[in-house]
Order: sequence, then C-alpha cells, then structure tokens
Amino acid sequence: MDLFYFVIQQTWTFSIPLLIVALAGLFSERSGVINIALEGIMLIGALFGVSYLHVFGNLLPPQLNLIVALLIAGGTGMLFSLLHAFAAIHMKADQTISGTALNTFAPAFCIFFGRLVLGTQQISFENLFRIDHIPVLGSIPFIGPMFFQNTYMTTFLGIIILFISYILIYKTKFGLRLRACGELPQAADSAGISVYKMRYAGVLISGLLAGLGGLILVIPTSTIFNATVAGYGFLALAVLIFGQWKPFKIFFAALFFGFMKTIAATSNAIPFLLNLGIPSVVYKIIPYIATLIVLAFVSKNSAAPRAEGEPFDKGKR
Amino acid sequence: MKKILKSEGFSSFISSCIAIVIGLVFGLIIILLTNPSQALDGFLNLIVGPLKLGMTGIGRVLFYAVPIIMTGLSVGFAFKTGLFNIGTPGQFIVGAFAAVYIGVYWTFLPSGLHWIVALIGAFIVGGLWAVVPGLMKAYLNVNEVISSIMMNYIGMYLVNYLVKETVFDSLRSQSLPVASSAVIPKLGLDKIFTGSTLNAGIFIAIIMVILIYVILNKTKFGYEMKACGFNAEAAKYAGINEKKNIVLAMVIAGALAGLGGGLVYLAGSGKFISIVEVLAPEGFNGIPVALLGLSNPIGIFFSGIFISYLTVGGNLMQQFGFIPEIVDIIVSAIIYCSALSLMIKIWLGQRKSKNIKKIETKEGDE
Amino acid sequence: MEYVIEMCHITKEFPGIIANDDITLQLKKGEIHALLGENGAGKSTLMSVLFGMYQPEKGIIKMNGQEVSIKDPNDANRLGIGMVHQHFKLVHNFTVLENIILGAEDTKNGLLTMDAARKKVNALSQKYHLNVDCDAITSEITVGMQQRVEILKMLYRDNDVLIFDEPTAVLTPQEINELMGIMKNLSAEGKSILFITHKLNEIKAVADRCSVLRKGKYIGTIDVKTTSKEEMSEMMVGRKVNFNVKKEKAKPTDVILDVKHLRVGKKDHKDVVNDISFQVKKGEIVCIAGIDGNGQSELVYALSGLMPVKDGTIMLDGQDITKASIFKRNMVGLGHIPEDRHRHGLILDYPLSYNIALKSYFKERFNHHGFLDYAKITEYSDQLIEKFDVRSGQGSQTITRSMSGGNQQKAIIAREIDNDPQLLIAVQPTRGLDVGAIEFIHTELIKERDEGRAILLISLELDEVMNLADRILVIYEGEIVAELDPQQTTIQELGLYMAGSKKEDIK
Repeated sequence: MDLFYFVIQQTWTFSIPLLIVALAGLFSERSGVINIALEGIMLIGALFGVSYLHVFGNLLPPQLNLIVALLIAGGTGMLFSLLHAFAAIHMKADQTISGTALNTFAPAFCIFFGRLVLGTQQISFENLFRIDHIPVLGSIPFIGPMFFQNTYMTTFLGIIILFISYILIYKTKFGLRLRACGELPQAADSAGISVYKMRYAGVLISGLLAGLGGLILVIPTSTIFNATVAGYGFLALAVLIFGQWKPFKIFFAALFFGFMKTIAATSNAIPFLLNLGIPSVVYKIIPYIATLIVLAFVSKNSAAPRAEGEPFDKGKR
Repeated sequence: MKKILKSEGFSSFISSCIAIVIGLVFGLIIILLTNPSQALDGFLNLIVGPLKLGMTGIGRVLFYAVPIIMTGLSVGFAFKTGLFNIGTPGQFIVGAFAAVYIGVYWTFLPSGLHWIVALIGAFIVGGLWAVVPGLMKAYLNVNEVISSIMMNYIGMYLVNYLVKETVFDSLRSQSLPVASSAVIPKLGLDKIFTGSTLNAGIFIAIIMVILIYVILNKTKFGYEMKACGFNAEAAKYAGINEKKNIVLAMVIAGALAGLGGGLVYLAGSGKFISIVEVLAPEGFNGIPVALLGLSNPIGIFFSGIFISYLTVGGNLMQQFGFIPEIVDIIVSAIIYCSALSLMIKIWLGQRKSKNIKKIETKEGDE
Repeated sequence: MEYVIEMCHITKEFPGIIANDDITLQLKKGEIHALLGENGAGKSTLMSVLFGMYQPEKGIIKMNGQEVSIKDPNDANRLGIGMVHQHFKLVHNFTVLENIILGAEDTKNGLLTMDAARKKVNALSQKYHLNVDCDAITSEITVGMQQRVEILKMLYRDNDVLIFDEPTAVLTPQEINELMGIMKNLSAEGKSILFITHKLNEIKAVADRCSVLRKGKYIGTIDVKTTSKEEMSEMMVGRKVNFNVKKEKAKPTDVILDVKHLRVGKKDHKDVVNDISFQVKKGEIVCIAGIDGNGQSELVYALSGLMPVKDGTIMLDGQDITKASIFKRNMVGLGHIPEDRHRHGLILDYPLSYNIALKSYFKERFNHHGFLDYAKITEYSDQLIEKFDVRSGQGSQTITRSMSGGNQQKAIIAREIDNDPQLLIAVQPTRGLDVGAIEFIHTELIKERDEGRAILLISLELDEVMNLADRILVIYEGEIVAELDPQQTTIQELGLYMAGSKKEDIK
C-alpha cells in the first residue's frame, strides 16, 4: 500500500511541471503564437532558480526561499520568452525556427553560465522543501497520503495556476480578447483590440509559466541541475495537444503522462512490474509512443486555435 | 549583373550574411563581457585559429563538416518540400547504430564492401526512422515537428538500449570498435591533410550534395517535391500525389541524416556511441546549416563548412580558458537572425518597390 | 453645408501601389451614399482609412466640420463610425453575444458580466428588426444572421456612421431585400450610411448619391435618381462597355460528361450536393447558375477529384471517373479553371513557365527518363504566353506571384485550353478581372465552344451567365431546380429560380 501511495506522490512530481508548462503553451497558442521553445525556457528558469538556491540556499526559511527562487525562475523565463515574442510578433518570423533558436541557445547558455559564474556546469542545491506531512490534511485516511504527505508546495501552486488559467481564459475580458487573437485576429483588430499587445501577453505568460515549470521539475527530482530537463518541454506540447487546448483536459493529460513517466522511473522498485521482466527502456519510451498514438487520433479534427502560427498582418483582408 | 542584385536569391544571401555577422558580434560581446583581458585574442583564435593550423586545420574542418552537411541536406531537403525535419538527431543515431552493428558483426563481408554495406545500412535505417512522421503527416495530418521530436527520444533510448545489449564495450561504457574492414578508407587524404582524421566521407558528402541538387532542380521528382512545398493544394489540383511525396521526402531526409551518422561512427577516429541520454547535437546542427544555406544544396555545403570551422575554432579557444559552448551560443544567435530574415528581406525589398510600381502601371494600361 | 464626414485629399500607398490617389469624399447626415468602382479601384482601402485600420500618407478627415484623427478602430468607434466588412470578422467558436461585445465588454472585478449587454442587444434587435439568437455559436448560424450580428456590433457601440463593404455579395435575393429595408430604416433613424458596391441595381434601389472611384482616383459624385445605370457604368470603367458578346447558336454533338445522381457531403452532415444529374455535350456551354454557397463549388470539386463523392457516378468520355485520381481524370481529358486561382490554379512561387507546364511536365516531350527538359518547357511557355497575350515582368521567367490577377488568370486559361481537354470546367473565370480581360476570356470561351469543345461554366455573375450559356442549370441548396434557355428567360426569372422559388410561384 505504501508503494501505491509512493507512486501517486511521484506522479504529482512529474505531472505538475507538465501541467504548468502545457498551460504555458496554451496561453501562447491561444493568442496565436506557436511556442516550441518551452524546453529552452524551462532550462533558463531552472538555471536561474537553482543558481539562486545554490548561492543563497540558507538566506531565508526554506519555503520562503523557494518562493523567491520561483519568482526568479518565472521572471527569467518571461524575459527569455521576450526574444521569441519579438521575433514572432514584431518581426513576423517563422515561429518554429525562432523557437528552435531559443532551444539551441538555452542548454549552451546553461553550461556556459554554470562554468563561468559558479565554476561548474552541475549546479547543486539543497532540497529543504519537501513537506513530510501537512498538519490535519495529511492525516485523512487514503486522501492524506495521496495528496498531503511527502509533497511540495509547488504541487498546490500548480493546481492554483490551473484554476486561475481557466478563469482567466474563459471568464475574463482578457481571455475573450486573447482567444479572439488566436482564432481570428482580424476580428480583434477591427474591434479595436491591439493584437500585438495581446500576443505579447500570451507569450510572456507562457514564458513565466515555463520558467516556473522548469524549476518545479528540478526541485523534487534531483539535487543537481545539469543543463537538461530531459525533453519535458516537448512532452508538455504533447500534453497540450492531447488536452485539446482546454485547461482541464490538459490537467488529465498531464496526469496520464506523469503517471507513465513515474512507472518508467520506478519500475525496478515495483515488484509486480519487475516480475514482468520488461526492460526499463520500454517504460522510458512509453510516454513518447503514447503521444504518437494520441496525435494519430486527435490531429484529424484539431481544436487548435485557427490563427496560430500565422503572423498577424494588418494588410491581409 | 543588375538582375543578380535584384533577385530574390541575392537578398536571401545578404540576409544570411547579416545573420552570420550578427551572430559573431553577439558572441564577441559575450566574450568581452566574460573575459575582457583575453577577449580579443580568444575571438581572433576563433576566427583564424583553424587556418593557423594549416592543412591539419583544414582537414579537421572538413572532417567535422561531414555530418552536419548531411544533416543540413536532410533538413534543407525537407524544407524545400514544405516539411520541418526536426527529427535529425533520432535519424542520425539510429543510422549510426545500424552502421556500427554491421561494422562489428558482418565481418564475413570482403574488405572493400564492408564499409559500403554498413553505410547503406545507415542510409536505409535512417530513412525508415523518418517513415513514421512522414506517414502520420501525410495521412493523419499530424504535425511533423511534434512527431519527429517524439521519434528523437524513442530513437535515443532505443539505441542506448540496443548498444548495451549488442555491441557493448563494458570497460569503457560505449560501443565496440568496428572491424577494420568497416572503417571508411582514407584514400590518401591523411597524407594531404596530415594530422587530421579526414577520410573518404567528405567525398561521399560532396556526392550527396550534387545528387540532391540534381534531384531538386533537374528531375520530375524534384519539380513535384517543390510544388508540394510551395503549395500543396495546387500540387493536388495538378494531379500530383502529395501524400506520396510527403512520405518520400521524409524518407529521403531521414536517410541523409542516417548516412551522416554512419559516416561519423565508421571513421575509425575514436568516436564511439556512448550511453548518454542526450540527443545527437550533429542532428540539431543541421538546422542552422540548412537555414544559412537557404535550403540550397550548394549553400548547405558551404554553410556546413562554415559552422564546422566555427566549431573547430571554438575548441581551440579552450586554450585561452574559454568555454567552447560559446560556439553553440553563436550558432543559436545565427538561427534566431535567420528567423528574422523575412523582415530583413522585406526591408531590402522596399528599396525595390519603385521598380515594381513601374511594372504595375505598365500592366494597368492593358 | 456641413457634412457629417469629409475625407479630404486622401492618399494611401502600399509598397508598389497607390491605392488611393488624392480622393475627396463627402457624406451628408442621414444619407445613403454608395461608393462605386471595379475590383482594385480602392474603395475598401478608402473605407479602411476612415475606419482607422490604415493611416493615409496624405489628407485629413473631418467630422461635422472639425478635423479628427483616426489612428485605429477604437478612435473610429469613439467618433461613432462602424464598419461591416465583406469578409465577416466573427470568431467562429464564440457565441453571437460574445462576438458582439468583443472589444466593448462590461466587467466587474475583471470578470465578464453579460446581462446588461444581453438586454441592450435584444432591445436593438427589436428596434431595427435584426433577428439574432444571442447564444448560438457563430459558425452554426446562417450567413444572413451573421451579417445581422455584424450590424448589431455597430449599433451596440452607438455608431452613427455605418460603412458596409460589399454587403450583398453573400446574400440570397430575399436577404438582399431585407438588407435594403434595414438600411432604409437606419437612414430614417438618422444614421449616415456609406456602402461599397459594384452592383448598379442596388445603388438604384437604396442610394441617394454615389461617388465613383477608378484605379485609385476619384472620378465624381452623382445624384442616383437622375443618373442612368449606363452613365454610372461608364464612369466606373472609363469607356462604353459592350455588355453582350456576339455569339452564334450552338451546335452540340456527343455527350462528353454524364453525371448521375451525384451526392457530395461530409460524413454526418447534410449533403451539399444532393442527387444531381446532368449532361454536357461537345460544342455547347452549359452554365450552372446559383448564389454562392449552394453547392456549385463542391460539385466542381467532386468532378475534378478534389473532394470525394458519396454516391452517384461521373462518366467522362465514356469512362467512369467517379473514384479516379485527379491525375487519371486529367489524362482522360478534364480541364479545370479553378475558383481560387491562388489556392489551386497556380504555384505562385514558381516561375511562369513552370506553371504553364503544371499539367504537362511529365509528358514525354518534356520528361526524359525522369529528367525535365526545362529549355523545352520554357519554349512552350513562350509560345503560349504569346498566343494568349499573357503579360508579365520577365516573360516565362517571371515569378508568378508578381503578376497581376488578370494575367495570372490568362495564364491558367492558356494552360487549360492548350492541354486540349475533352471537357473544360471554368469556375468564375472572370472574377476580379477588369473589363478588358473579361471580354478577352469570354471571346476565348465562345471560340472554344465553336471548335467543338464541351464547356461547363460556373458563374455568379448573371450577365455572364446570360451572355455565354447555351443552357442554364440553376442550382439551389445542392439540387438542380431548373433548366433554362437563356433566349427564353429573363434575368429576373433566373434570379427567382436562384433564390429557390419553384416554377409555379412565378405567376
């Protein structure tokens, strides 16, 4: 039973970053800009967040320190995404190429920065953030161990972000205008809305969330940041597509993929799976194969925002 | 001469040059900021370092250019037909594995044939690896970028596993050396470019460049490919089977990348497949090569050499305490500027607008 | 006399084109003022300047005598200027109410509040007889209702100056009448209306005055009641137009196209083409007439192979091509001048010669064992553009994108005709072309008919239909509802059939 709880707890660890980064992709795409640079932005956010903890690990009480680190991660992610926003929106560049540029830059920069500033490309930090047991909530039978033991504050942050995203996109003026820019920017433009501004907002929010997601991924999963987030940024894109660009569907997609990743990572520790004798490589590739299968079914009638990927041109009628 | 200056191709060439210059300047700025005292020396070393090494240097540049010319051709060919092949790392490594496997075990093949068959194996397996994204795009409308990225990771994990299971050198945690009959012959190049590891692979790369050029510009197949790339619906209207062409384009692109992998790991120069969970960088480097080379095979050849030159220079910079990753940073800046090239072209184009006006009014008086 | 809107000496340029060249326009309060001109005359551009979507290089705009600055649609809105665009700017998956309030939303604490908006929309809807369903999803309502949503967008913002850009292009005759009534209502309530059109009948029906533009220049303003259609038309095109092409009686021979019980449509959706049967013989021009959106586009896609067929058969020259590939159909003898020349007819980034050879590059004379003889292709292209008078900057080497619409169309027609098809399908072959090009194409088509070719013409222009057709098949909601002889029928009768009235109702 303990094993079961452990698997659930681990799933959160993998799912929440996926959720947040997929939501990052959502904001960008809903505004009409394809952002495949999520991987790169995660790296930058993680780099700066972890570097802060590496240097100032004991500056403030742990959870407070974590909040500062998160702010730094989100902020740097946002700044980095400005490059993509500028290229895609102002310069009407090919958004896939611009995203690739960012993805190429980020890992090199992480190594460069690590070696130069901190003397090493493997940046370590102390994980003082794990919460063993939340008072009261952690003692509830079944639910307690599943959600409120052996957890991190970031998990709840992720859920809060989910709800905020939903409300923002569907219940506010901002969200209505954002969606208009992603479906038919000409309609927004003739209604007097600045498509440029909305798209910048979409991409910058996406940078903020992806930067957060990068740090949130690294913290529970290791004590060293080594210039990689193992393709999470791309997996998050798959989660976005699987979730058909809708926040709650994305949540379930993230849970599914997170679960698969967990099995891949812990298959050796689970006797049932160990006995099946399946080599661990199978578990490693299952999330990717699952993505391909999902893509195969879902791409025919795509619910993707119609105007995504097309730079907005006032001249077009 | 005027025609050349006015042409679309020329303004694209200029925008590529601008992208390169900006990338280099960006790199210079970073170097200046991080190590001001040695900055100029380091940067100069980057720019002329390989040449200072004479024939050895040139040999090294050509040697490292081979894989990225191949992956550049892969990406560029796909671009021409309207596809973004970001799956080159996966295609590269599975091709490499096929070559190494054949190189280690198929020793029954005579010496002159062994390495050729190994390369053919790399070619075929690379092509097969691209079939999945190709079919999914053609028949299921799945975006080839996402599906190729998935294939990259599947390929990486799979090859790591297969190497461990079949061609593993447990002492050094990498793939076994291939039989000497499977090593690509030097054809005397090691005498000309002494000190480098250059081999016949460069000739194979050149042959591929010419082949792709001919296919794209002289054949019916190339006409149809480019038509699909420019306007898939019009191609369909014309009776061209655009689904078949998408799959074929991906397969060829994958095969080129796979061949690149084979050429690297059969060089007998001490390069072995290591079990790391890192996507082959030679794969991704094909993208800037293709962008700079404007997806034109000849352009790709030269931009491959250029980027290889930077890489060799970057490694030489380490002597001055510089971190070689600066080259990746420069390359990423170049990619970024290439993305902006549309705007640069428009800016260049606005200077031509006066000429267009003249034509319009001429036609208007029909 | 103070005009509610005055656009003074407006000049607007785009790279390579002067869209508006020193144009002055004056709108009186409460009048319906038409803006007349051919395609490319600059009407839409001028109105976009008024609405703030473009900034003019020269010139000023005055409202009620005061100079105003209109930098974006928000400014225009604040001044009470609104615009209904030709291509509706409605988000497909928003509700009607969401589309109306977009850009003028009420919020409380940042969250949308729709109740007040709903009340106002309902009130406006009643006052102006603009029937809409607030909660319907926009992609699922009729085109007529979508246009009403666009009008409500303007009224919701208390706009007093209303601009309509080619509003009747997509409406049925019944809906056009309704719209004319709505416009008269609005004018009676004191709204000032500018409406862009190239249809003389409509100007005569509702407009008070009309300003004419030609090739970016202002030609003049006339009083509609005292000016004839011929005079307006002459101002629009610059010379007396011959509306009729000379044509001898057709001499049709064998059946070349035989369509039986054709059904086309998406799965689980209503059939867009619903049990159509007809024939086309050699030596005749059969025209399928109908309002845009009644299935004629899909019919052509099914015939050409761009769309699959649900049921029925298509026989071309005795061969069953119902399920044949597009390539096979071309080989059997299908020629197709497509509706959308940029989407289907041409590969704009290819040189002209490559496009001329688009359907013949694989033939033996150009294709030697997989290698193309581009020299021969260029030679062929040179011949063809000479013969059909296709003009371009650098001849066969011109990149097709830089050619004018008229010459692009001529290139397509040259290619299709020279390919010697058994059946030539021409869809809207003269759309967007100037009068000279139209005359040329009409003459070509009649020439081909006289030489024995079978032509299936799809057109939305009634004049073109009456001029060219030997037989008219009227399509309405996916069915052929009438077969008419143009000699024995009037345009009014044709219009009635196109709008769905059955024969019996005409009495």
